[in-house]
Amino acid sequence: MTSARPHLLALGAIAALGLLAAFSVQSAVVLDLVFTLLLYAVLGQSWNWISGYAGNISFGHAIFFGCGAYASALCVTHGLSPWLAIPAGVLAAAALALATGFPTLGLRGHYFSIATIAVAALVEAFVRTSHWLGKANGFELPIASGWGALQFGQKGPYVVLALALFVAVQLATIALERSRLGYYLRALRANHAAAASVGIDERRTKLIAFAWSATMAAAAGVLYAQYTLFVDPPSTIALAVSIDIALIGVVGGIGTLWGPLTGALVYVVLAKAVALRLGGAGKGYDLVIYGAIICLIAALRPYGIVGTVVDAIRRRRGAAGTIPPAATPAETAA
Amino acid sequence: MEALGTFGQLLAGGLLTGLVFALVAVGLTLVYGVMDVVNFAHGEFLMLAMYAALGLALVGLGPLVGLPLVAIAMFLFGIVVYRVFVRRLLAGPPEATVFGTFGLLVLMQGLAQALLTSDYQSVPSPPLQGTVRFGAIALSQATLVEGLGALVLTAALFAFVEYTETGRAMRAVAEDRVAATLMGIDVQRVNGLAFGIGAACVGAAGALLMLSYPVYPTAGASFALTAFVIVALGGFGSIQGALVGAVLVGLLEVFGGFYLSPELKMVPVYLAYLAVVLLRPQGLLGRR
Amino acid sequence: MKEVRLRVRRFSTVLAAVFALTAAGGGVTHAADPPEIVIGSILPLTGPSAQTGAGLRTAQQLAADLVNGHVSYPLPLVGKSGLPHLGHARIKLVFADSQGKPDQARAAAEQLITQEHAVALIGTYASSTTATASQVAERSGIPFLNPDSSAPGLTARGLKWFFRTTPHDGTFAENFFQFFADLKKTKNIGVKRVAIVGEDGLFGSGASDAEEALVKKNGYELATRVSYPATTTEVNAEVQKVKTSSPDVIMQASYVPDALLYMRGYKQQNVEVKAILAQDAGFIDPNFVRTLGADAEGVFTREVFSLEIKHRNQAVPLIDQLFRERFAGKPLDGNTARDFMGVLVLADAIDRAGSTKPEAIRAALQATNIPGKLTLMPWNRIHFDATGQNDGGVGIIEQVQNGKYETVWPFDVSVKPVIWPMPAWKR
Repeated sequence: MTSARPHLLALGAIAALGLLAAFSVQSAVVLDLVFTLLLYAVLGQSWNWISGYAGNISFGHAIFFGCGAYASALCVTHGLSPWLAIPAGVLAAAALALATGFPTLGLRGHYFSIATIAVAALVEAFVRTSHWLGKANGFELPIASGWGALQFGQKGPYVVLALALFVAVQLATIALERSRLGYYLRALRANHAAAASVGIDERRTKLIAFAWSATMAAAAGVLYAQYTLFVDPPSTIALAVSIDIALIGVVGGIGTLWGPLTGALVYVVLAKAVALRLGGAGKGYDLVIYGAIICLIAALRPYGIVGTVVDAIRRRRGAAGTIPPAATPAETAA
Repeated sequence: MEALGTFGQLLAGGLLTGLVFALVAVGLTLVYGVMDVVNFAHGEFLMLAMYAALGLALVGLGPLVGLPLVAIAMFLFGIVVYRVFVRRLLAGPPEATVFGTFGLLVLMQGLAQALLTSDYQSVPSPPLQGTVRFGAIALSQATLVEGLGALVLTAALFAFVEYTETGRAMRAVAEDRVAATLMGIDVQRVNGLAFGIGAACVGAAGALLMLSYPVYPTAGASFALTAFVIVALGGFGSIQGALVGAVLVGLLEVFGGFYLSPELKMVPVYLAYLAVVLLRPQGLLGRR
Repeated sequence: MKEVRLRVRRFSTVLAAVFALTAAGGGVTHAADPPEIVIGSILPLTGPSAQTGAGLRTAQQLAADLVNGHVSYPLPLVGKSGLPHLGHARIKLVFADSQGKPDQARAAAEQLITQEHAVALIGTYASSTTATASQVAERSGIPFLNPDSSAPGLTARGLKWFFRTTPHDGTFAENFFQFFADLKKTKNIGVKRVAIVGEDGLFGSGASDAEEALVKKNGYELATRVSYPATTTEVNAEVQKVKTSSPDVIMQASYVPDALLYMRGYKQQNVEVKAILAQDAGFIDPNFVRTLGADAEGVFTREVFSLEIKHRNQAVPLIDQLFRERFAGKPLDGNTARDFMGVLVLADAIDRAGSTKPEAIRAALQATNIPGKLTLMPWNRIHFDATGQNDGGVGIIEQVQNGKYETVWPFDVSVKPVIWPMPAWKR
């Protein structure tokens, strides 16, 4: 395992840059971009834990994001502090992940992916038919101000919080790569049978990764709710949101440390660029571009932007095993 | 007595609904069976077929007449997509097929929106809009034809896979790719054909569906979602499984809608899926 | 190690460059020159409603151009070469994309206020995006005019700076019952049991909630209420539920695919009712009549606007013509007409305020009182109540007669008589 130092240095640089931006940049537009970028990066990284490192691609990840967002909405509309939403949302997400992961994480890839869609649909149906969850109307959070209310008139504090969350998530991922859990996950991806024979419990290992991944998404959800002040099914738990999250993870590079940030960067920049240049014509050009990028990546460079970069670096260094280990087609056919 | 009539109507409706789902699901399961690929862009293939059928209808070739043309066009499309794209995905890590076909989904939806607009478009004055009555039960002519189409398609596909040379080759590849290669089977050619045939099935489905539905860029999505569940429920790779799974899903959805609530009608379907894969991971009739 | 450090530095540089670029890019579009008054418009210019957004944008721009122009029409503030009370200052619309998402709408609102220095905002079509954008306006003390979002809750938030010209779902539901009341004056309509059908999203459930509350209030019986997922591919159970509840009328809120499924289902299952009253959407889409043909006859739908009110609102055909010229021959419709009027209402208020100070504009908005005839809409007037809702708004009801949508209510704008009950299903 490579040294963590360059990654920590990079993270430090980003943190410094981010803090600088938060305190000095005046433009609300720029700060909003930075906030969105960091939030999506967190979501992408949370998705990465289960779909990348664990290798079980999820198309229903938005439900965990929703846990956090709805927890926030519920706390605030019931007169409780939104800070309570953090433990509440995180615990709810972890519980949901354990409950839904338990039956499905022992299954092969496709079954799991489809199961995530099924579970997400169930959750959405539940929310849409429950009065206490706002049904289709969702919740509008009343305007407030200050750290106690976790709402701010300026963008700076939001960026700081998003940055803190991002740094925490990156540190956790750096730790994951060098931990026993990470080692087990890599072993499972390399060869299920061999890993099992060494005593690695696939379901249990992946459940842990899944639960952690859910908590990260929930934390992002709380922050999102406190920022946007509006929570409803289409914006937080719909299939489209899950697909956006997956998009970010895939474009950046599945299973890599910096993939999610890269993917988020591409996503945010592209969305803005498309809106500015091609907006107003009513066409789906941004979708065409994303789709083309993902197809190209999948066909030519399956490891995304970051994976390709990492690969190139390793090649230059002359390392033997260049591509991140994964099960070969022959083995998954077993 | 009225309750019995209602029950009968629901039963007939559920069966037909299931058959319509089978129409869409059968192409998906073939592709999976042969090359282990779940085509997440399946709904977009359906949408493409629907647009093609619409195009033909607008120049006078109604959905039933246009069906063979659409099926052939989709067959060729499937082969091209395989040769240019899916083949490369298969050479990569297993996730590549998942997010590769996912990328295709996004790309096709975007292209549809860009080139064809997101307006709803339907066949003007489609045929078979009448009603067929069996005693107290009333059924739509169009839906009956769609259901019949599903049965014919499933039977034809089953016969093809069981009794033809190419079909046997496909089964061989499905069972053991390495052994099949050793036996002299050109796996790439078989894969391509399977993908093409799967697309042709979706083509037929799309043409028939234009009898009853409008098309728009995300029209395939809800059908596809149910198709994925059905294929997993019935057992990946099993054509009979897809039929059985589809009918089961149709009945669950319709009865769930009436006796539970329409808002929750998909809940029994998804729960059934989760139950089946938990208790019987290979699906109802699947082999692996 | 060296390569990795290089990579890290390169990465940070890229990030910094992106920030710098966006900051610079943000700085380039500065506030309008003094003689121009900036109104910020937030619309879904990309995303699923992008087509609608493009039309709304065209309509709003047309209105701004007419205000700045010198050709007169029977509309407020048009053709006076700008705002007379502000030295003929011109209106400039600056558009920002909501992408149909609430968080993007919020960002768009902030951009328009802080960067473009908009004196007022207008938008945003979808109720969820309007909710967040208007919250930004409220916080910043900038007037927000909403011409086209119909969720009743938007004007129930106690906001000071939010004004809505369009009627909301509650009003539209009321229109159905006013229609019944008006009909009862001349004949016995035989309506007792009402079945309510609606898709389970914001649109359908909002309409259904409003309808259900009014059923009870007006002394009718609720036969059944059916709520279903909009993306469903079959409606067997739903149709059976409606049928077995023996309704006299059905009130429905559906999109195109589901509207078609239901109509066919009603026909097959012999669901004979005196009327089907729809809430717009799928039932007024061109596909509806085109696909159903004779089976669509007699269906009622509420509408927001009709080109046929031209004998009362003389500007309608003129503006319709201008709009078609700008928008590929497509006619003016409910959405574009409302957005067009929204710009006029704002311009009129700013003019009456004689100032670009937000508080002055707000006071002027509160004093708005435009007679319905001087608008493009079948409304009584434009006048905002204490909650910021236009209390003069009203929908119209159309009925499909011989394949065309004919205005049948209110009776003072109606073009054809009501056919009651709906014709029986043709076999």
